[in-house]
Amino acid sequence: MSQVEKKAGLLRRTSSSKKPLKEKVVLMYDEIFAKEDPAKNNPRFWDELFLMKVNLEYLESKLESIDGEDVQCIQDNINSLFHHCVQALGEEHQIKVVNALQTLCALFRGVHQKNKSASGFDIINMLMGFDKAEQRMKDLMESLDSLLCGDGSESLKSLCLKLLLCLVTVTDNISQNTILEYVMINSIFEAILQILSDSSSRGQHGYDAVVLLALLVNYRKYESVNPYIVKLSIVDDEPTLDGMGMVVHQALTEYNRQYKDKEEEHQGGFFSALTSMVGSMFIADADEKLSVQTNEAILLALYEAVHLNRNFITVLAQSHPEIDIVPAPPTPTPTTPTTPLGTTPPSLDVINNPELPLDPNLQTSNLLITFLKYASIVMQDTKDEHRLNSARLCLIILTCIAEDQYADAFLHDDNMNFRVTLHRMPMRHRKKAVGKNIPSRPLVCAVLDLMVEFVVTHMMKDFPFDLYLRCVQIIHKLLCYQKKCRIRLHYTWRELWSALINLLKFLMSNETSLLSKHNIFHLALLIVNLFNMFITYGDTFLPTSNSYDELYYEIVRMHQVFDNLYCMVLRVSTNAGQWKEAASKVTHALVNIRAIINHFNPKIESYAAVNHISQLSEEQVLEVVRSNYDTLTLKLQDGLDQFERYSEQPKEAAFFKELVRSISLNVRKNVSLNTLSQDVLLKEFSTIS
Amino acid sequence: MQSRVGGQNESNRKRLQKQSFHQDVCVKDGIRPERNTGVEERLVGSDGPGTKTGIFLRCRSVLNRIRGASVAGTLHPKWPTLSEHPSSPSASPRSSSPSGSIGSSGSLCSSSPSEGIGSSGVSSSGEPRGPSPQLDVISEDAMEMDLGGQQVIDPEVALKACQEVLLKVKLLDNRPGQDDQPPPAEAPERSSPQWLLNPDTSSIKEEDEDEEEGHRQAPAPPQDRLSLPQSASSSSSKQSWLLRLFESKLFDVSMAISYLYKSKEPGVQAYIGNRLFSFPDGEVDFYLPQLLNMYVHMDTEVGDSIRPYLIHRCRGSITFSLLSAWLLGAYSSDMHISTQRHSRGTKLRKLILSDDLKPPAHPSDPPRSVPPSVSDSPVSSPAHRRCHRRHNSNNVDAGPAPDGPDQGEVFASPSRRTHQRSKSEATLASGGPSASLRRTGSNPKVEAMHEEPERLRPQREFVKSLFCIGKRLATLPTKEQKTQRLISELSLLNHKLPARVWLPTAERQHHVCRLPPTQGVVLNSKDKAPYIIYIEVLECHSFETSPVPVRIPETRIHSSRSEESLDSGATANANSIITSEHRAGSFSTVPNYDNDDEAWATDDIGQLQVEMEGQTSSSDNISQFSVDSITSLESKEPVFIAAGDIRRRLSENLAHPPTSFKWDPEDPSAVALKEPWEEKVRRIREASPYGHLPNWKLQSVIVKCGDDLRQELLAYQVLKQLQSIWQQERVPLWIKPYKILVMSSDSGMIEPVLNAVSLHQVKKQSQLSLLDYFLQEHGSFTTEAFLTAQRNFVQSCAGYSLICYLLQVKDRHNGNILLDSEGHIIHIDFGFILSSSPKNLGFETSAFKLTSEFVDVMGGLDGDMFIYYKMLMLQGLIAARKHMEKVLQIVEIMQQGSHLPCFHGSSTIRGLKERFHMSLTEEQLQVLVEQLVDGSMRSITTKLYDSFQYVTNGIM
Repeated sequence: MSQVEKKAGLLRRTSSSKKPLKEKVVLMYDEIFAKEDPAKNNPRFWDELFLMKVNLEYLESKLESIDGEDVQCIQDNINSLFHHCVQALGEEHQIKVVNALQTLCALFRGVHQKNKSASGFDIINMLMGFDKAEQRMKDLMESLDSLLCGDGSESLKSLCLKLLLCLVTVTDNISQNTILEYVMINSIFEAILQILSDSSSRGQHGYDAVVLLALLVNYRKYESVNPYIVKLSIVDDEPTLDGMGMVVHQALTEYNRQYKDKEEEHQGGFFSALTSMVGSMFIADADEKLSVQTNEAILLALYEAVHLNRNFITVLAQSHPEIDIVPAPPTPTPTTPTTPLGTTPPSLDVINNPELPLDPNLQTSNLLITFLKYASIVMQDTKDEHRLNSARLCLIILTCIAEDQYADAFLHDDNMNFRVTLHRMPMRHRKKAVGKNIPSRPLVCAVLDLMVEFVVTHMMKDFPFDLYLRCVQIIHKLLCYQKKCRIRLHYTWRELWSALINLLKFLMSNETSLLSKHNIFHLALLIVNLFNMFITYGDTFLPTSNSYDELYYEIVRMHQVFDNLYCMVLRVSTNAGQWKEAASKVTHALVNIRAIINHFNPKIESYAAVNHISQLSEEQVLEVVRSNYDTLTLKLQDGLDQFERYSEQPKEAAFFKELVRSISLNVRKNVSLNTLSQDVLLKEFSTIS
Repeated sequence: MQSRVGGQNESNRKRLQKQSFHQDVCVKDGIRPERNTGVEERLVGSDGPGTKTGIFLRCRSVLNRIRGASVAGTLHPKWPTLSEHPSSPSASPRSSSPSGSIGSSGSLCSSSPSEGIGSSGVSSSGEPRGPSPQLDVISEDAMEMDLGGQQVIDPEVALKACQEVLLKVKLLDNRPGQDDQPPPAEAPERSSPQWLLNPDTSSIKEEDEDEEEGHRQAPAPPQDRLSLPQSASSSSSKQSWLLRLFESKLFDVSMAISYLYKSKEPGVQAYIGNRLFSFPDGEVDFYLPQLLNMYVHMDTEVGDSIRPYLIHRCRGSITFSLLSAWLLGAYSSDMHISTQRHSRGTKLRKLILSDDLKPPAHPSDPPRSVPPSVSDSPVSSPAHRRCHRRHNSNNVDAGPAPDGPDQGEVFASPSRRTHQRSKSEATLASGGPSASLRRTGSNPKVEAMHEEPERLRPQREFVKSLFCIGKRLATLPTKEQKTQRLISELSLLNHKLPARVWLPTAERQHHVCRLPPTQGVVLNSKDKAPYIIYIEVLECHSFETSPVPVRIPETRIHSSRSEESLDSGATANANSIITSEHRAGSFSTVPNYDNDDEAWATDDIGQLQVEMEGQTSSSDNISQFSVDSITSLESKEPVFIAAGDIRRRLSENLAHPPTSFKWDPEDPSAVALKEPWEEKVRRIREASPYGHLPNWKLQSVIVKCGDDLRQELLAYQVLKQLQSIWQQERVPLWIKPYKILVMSSDSGMIEPVLNAVSLHQVKKQSQLSLLDYFLQEHGSFTTEAFLTAQRNFVQSCAGYSLICYLLQVKDRHNGNILLDSEGHIIHIDFGFILSSSPKNLGFETSAFKLTSEFVDVMGGLDGDMFIYYKMLMLQGLIAARKHMEKVLQIVEIMQQGSHLPCFHGSSTIRGLKERFHMSLTEEQLQVLVEQLVDGSMRSITTKLYDSFQYVTNGIM
C-alpha cells in the first residue's frame, strides 16, 4: 500500500522542516497555550490561524505535555480554540475548513492521550467547557452533517469522516468515550446513510462510513438506548441497504482476492504451500495483518446489519456480477435529475452502463457467497486471535442468517443455484480439493459444506468448542427450516453424518482434557439430536428414500461410537458431579439410536451367518436394513425441531466488547496515518482558491 | 330498435321522396315512385312526424341550392343507374375484392328485382341523423385545429381531399335521393368523420376557404356537383357504389385496409383514412403493421391519408405511440440507409418519439392536426397528471425543508425512495431521543421540482434495459452463467420498479411492479440469449393516468413472515397435511400473511417498534427457550412410531409421478415452463411483497434480442385471421396465435404460451414416446382426461397442419413444437415461412409435419380420431378458402418494400394463393387433403430432418 510510503515521506519532511525554524503556526499554537487570550493583541488571530497549515504533531504533543495545573489556566484558550474550530467549519474558504477539521482531530486526540485516566467529563470540560459543551457539539455535528451531505469536495467529506472516526476511537473502550453522548444526541446517522445510498460517494467514503456506523452502534450498546441501533434496525431504504451491502461485499472480495493471490504465489509445491500458508498466518507482514483487522470492522458492520436490520437480509441475496465495482467517476451519470423510470436505482452505474465488463470467467456473485468464501478462508486457521474472533463472528452471522425465514427461503431457493468455491485447508489425509467441478446448487449447500468442512478440520488439541457449538446449531437451524417447509435438499447428507460421528469420537477420546474446560455433553446432545432429527423427521426433508437407508447404514456402521458414547454418559450421569444432569440428557437422547443399533446389528450378523459372508457389502447391509424396518419402533422425541434463538445479550456481550476494542485500536491507528496525509487536500483547495 | 330506426328512415325517405317528387321537376324517375310506393305501403304506420321536419328542411335547402346552381341536363341519363346503385342490395361484402366485385355486383344490382329490400337493408344500419350536439362539438374542434395547426399540413390536405371526394360522392348520391335520406344516413352515430359531409356546418366552408386549388373555393355543394359530370362521369357510378359499400355496416377494417392498399384513387384513400376513425381502436390495431408498412413503403397519397389517424391515435395513447414507433423503425429498416433517414416513416417515428404528440396540457396549446374522434378513449387530462405527481410527493412535504438548490443533484433519487426515507426519518424523529438534528440536505423535498418524466421515456427505458440484458447475456458461454447473470440483472432492474411501464402483450391496463428475479430463465438457443421473465403487474384503470403504485420493499413480505416464530409454524405444519406437490421455497404453512393488516402492521407502526426496542435497550429478539426434548419426554407418556412408517411416508412422498421436470443446467427453461401456470402464479404471489394486492397479476414475456420478429408478427396475424375465420365458420380447429411485439428489426418480445413445453423437452425429460407421455400425464385410454387431451391434440394438429401447409412453415423440429398441459400442440418459431426455408437443404419437402408418433396419439391410422383429423382439415381448408382474401391481404401488404426472407422471389403471393385451391371442388379438396396427409406421413424428409436436428443441435 502506498499509504505507508506516503506516511514515511511525510514524516520525514515535516520533521526536517520543523526543527530549525519555527513555523508561524507553531508560534500561534504557543500563543494559545500561553495564558493570555491570543486574540487580545491580534483580533484576527483566529482567522489567521485557520489559514495556516496545521502542525498536528506539535499541537498534539503540546496538549499532551500540559500538566494538570496548567490545564485550569489555559482551559479558556482551548475552549476558545475549539469554539473557533467549530465556527471555521462553516467558512466558505475550504482551506479553513480543512485546517479546522484537522485541528479538531488533534484536539480530540491530544486531550485524550494526555488524560488516559481522566474521566470523560474532565475532557469535555477541558475541550469545550461544561456549560457550552452541548451547544458546541451540536454546532460541530451540524456542520459535519452539512459538510457530509452537501455537494462540496469529496476529500472534504473524507476528512469529516476521518475526524468522526478519530473522535469515536480516541478511547480504547468506546463506551467510555463520553463525548460520544453528544454524537448520540446529534445524530449523523442520516448523513452516513446518504453517503451509502449514493453510488459515487459510496465508492469513495463507503468504507469509512460503514466502519463509523458499526462503531457508533456499539457505543454503550448494553447500557443505554443507542439511537443508532434503533435507527439502523428500521432502515428500509433499499438503495441505502444495498449500498451498505456493496461496501461490505467489496471489502470482503478484496480480502478474498488478496488471499487467492497469495495462495497462488506459494503454489510451488505442496509442502511449501502448506508451510508458507501457515507461516503467512503468523508472520504476516504488516499489510496482511492490516487487511485482516480492517475486515473485522467490516465484519462487525455486516453483523450489525444482519442482526439489527431484518431488511438487510434481502441484500445478502442481491446478486450482481462479481466485478470490482469501481467507484463511479464523478460523471453526471450517477445522478441525473430526470431519471428514466422516475427512480434512481442504487446501482445505476452497473445497470445503465452497457459497457459493463464482460469477462465470461466472472461468476455472478452476491454478498452471501462472498461472505461464505471469506468465512472459509478465515475459518481455516483459528490459532491467531484475530482470526479466531473473525471466525466466531462469521459463525454468529451465519447463525443469524440461518434463523431468518427470508434468508432461509433464498438459501433453499431452487432457482438460485450457484457454484461456491470454498477454500479448503490442505490436510495430510486428503488431497487439496480440486475445485472447478462443484455443481451449481442452492446456496444452503455451500453453507452446509462450510459447516462440514469446519467440523472435519478443527478437531485439535486447542479445541474451539464455542465455534463447534455454533456450527452444530447452524446446521440444526437449517434442518428445522427444511423440515418445516418440507424442502428436500439434494445434498450428500452422508458427509455430514460421518463428520458428526467423527466429532463425537473425538469428543470421547479427549474427554478428560476437554471436560476440564467445556461442557462437552451439551455439544454431544446437540449432535445426537441432529441424528434424531434425521431419524424421526427424515420423511419430511430427505431427498430420496435411499438416503434414509443410508442414515441407518451409517449409524449401524459406526455403532461403536454411539455405544461408547452411551457408556460414557451413563457413567457420568450415575456418578454425582457437575455433569450429571447434562450427561443424563444425552442418555435419553440416545434412545432411538440405540434402538436402531440393537435392532439391526443382530439382523445383519445373522444375515452374514446365514449367507456365510464374512464381510457384507454396503448393498447387502442396505438390503437388510430395508427389510427390517417394520419390526423397529422408535420413540417420538419432543422439541427436536426447536432451538434457542440467538441473542447477543448477555452471552455474547463480552465478546463484542473485546472485539470493538480491538477494532477501535486498529481504526485509530489507520486514521492517524491517513489524516496526516493532507497534501492532496491542500493541493486541491489551493488551486480552487 | 334497429328495425324501428330503419322504419323511421324508410318513412322519412318516403316522405322526402314524395315531396321532392312533387317539387323537383328535373328529376323524373319512372321506376322509383313505384318502388317507393311499395315501400310506403309496407311501412305505413311506423311514421312519426316529429323529428323529420328538420331533416326534411335541411334537405330542402340543399336541394334548392343544387337547383339554383343550374342543374346540368347531361346528368339526366345517368339518374336511373345512379339511383339504382345506392338502393341496390350491397353485394355481399365478404366477397368484395375491390378488383372484381364492383363490376359484378353492379350487374347483379341491375338485374336484381329486390331493390326495395336492398335499400331498406342498407338504410337500416344507420340512424336518422339530425344536427346532433356531438357533431357540433367536433366541428368546433376542427375549426380550432384549422386555425392553430398550421405547422402540420399533411393532415389538413388529407382532410380536404377527403371532404372533396366525399362531397362529390355524396352529392352524386344525394342528387337522386333529394328525396332520399340526408347524407350520413348509413354511418354509425359515433363515426366522427361524417360531420364533414354535413353541408350545413360552417366548418366545411372554412376548410374550403383554405383550399389550395382555386376552383373549389366557393361553397362547395352545388359547384361540386357541377364539376362532377366532367371529371367523374365514368367513375361516378363506381364511386357511388363504393360509397354505399363503405357506409354499409359490413364494411369492416379488413376491407378498409384492402381498399386502401388497392385503390389508386386518392379520394378513396382519403375517405378510408378518415373512415378509420370510426372503427373501434382494437380492430384497427390488428392491422397496425399493415397500416404502418403502407405508410412507410407506399406512395405519398396513402401515407397522407393514414397519417391523421395515426397522429390522432398517438396523441391519445402512449401504448399506440410506442407500438407505432417501434414498428415504423422496424419497417423502415429495409430501406436503403440514405433514403431511410429522410423517409416518411422515419420522420413520423421521430415525431412520435419526440413526444410532441403529448395531449395538450393547456388550452393555449391547441391540438395540431386531427380532432379527437368521439369514439376515442378519454384522453388523459392534465388534471389527472398533476394529481398523480402530487401523489408521489405528498407524504414528503411534511418535513420542513429550507433546502438549497443543490438538492436536485444530490437527491436525484426517486420520489418513492426518498419518500420512504423520509418516512423512516419521521418515525425516528418521534421515536428517538436524538433526532433533534434536522437533516437539511437529505430532506426530500425534491419532488416539487422534479419534472414529470417524459411520456414515453419510462417504457422505452424499460424495454431498452431488457434488451441490454439480452445483449450482455449473449456474451456469456454457458446457460448456467446466463441464468445467474439474468437473475442478478433482473434484481437490479427491480430497483426501478414499479414505474409507469407496462407489458404490451397483456390484455388489461396495468403497471409493472416487480420482476421476480429468480424466476427469469434463459431459453434454449444456440448463440442468442432469448429469455423468459415473469412480470408482476398491478392492474389499474388506465396506465397513463392512474397513479403508479408505491414501491413496497422486498422485505415487507419478509417482515410479516419472520413475525411468526418457527415453532408456531411447526405446529401449523403438524396439523395441516401438506400436499406432495408442495415445492421448495413456498410457504403455504405460514398462516394468513396475505391478510393486509397483519402483514403491514409490523412495519407501518415502526414507531411502536422503536419504543419497544428502546425499552429493552437491545434489539435482540426475546429468546425463546425450547423445552428440552428430554425433560418433556420424561414427564409425558412416550409416543412411539414405527421406523417403517417413516420410511414408507418418505417413499410415498417421493413416489408420485414426476409431473415436474428435473432441473437441468443445460436446459434451465424446461422446469420453469413445465410448472403449471396457476401454481407458478400462486408461488410467486406468495413470495411477492405486492402479492396481497387484489389487482396483482402475473404476466410473462419472452425477450428476444438479435432476432427479427417481423416474420413472426406476420405469422401471428395470419394465424389470428385464420383463427377468427374458423371461429366464424364454426370449424373446431384449434390454434394458438401468440402475440408478437416487434420493437426493431432485430429485437422484440413474444408472449409465451402458458403451460407448454417443447416436444424436445418432453422427450428428453420423460424418455417416453409421445403416446406414453400422454398416458402418463392424462391417464389411460378410456379416461375422460385422456380423451379430452386426445381431442385437443387432434384439433390442434389439424389446425397447425393447415397452417404449416398454407404458410409453408419450415424448420419443424421438435424444439419448435410445443405441447401444452391440455394436449394441444402449438407450433412456434415462424422464422421460415412462405418462400424461405432453412439453408435450403431440401429437407422438409412434405406439406407439414406428421410423424407416426402423432398418428399414434390420434389412435392410429384407422382410428376415428384420425379420420376426424382429416375431416377437420378439409373443413378448415374450405373455410379458409372462403375468406382467402382476408388472409392474402395481410401478407400482400407486408410484402410491400420488405426484404424479409419469406418474401424472397416473386411468386410468394401467387404460391400462397394457389395453396388455397380456389378452383377445386370440395370433392377434389378432400382428395387433396388425403394426399397431403399421406404424403406428410410417409415423408422421409421429416424423419431425416429430425435426425439432422438431433445430430447437429441435440434436439430430440
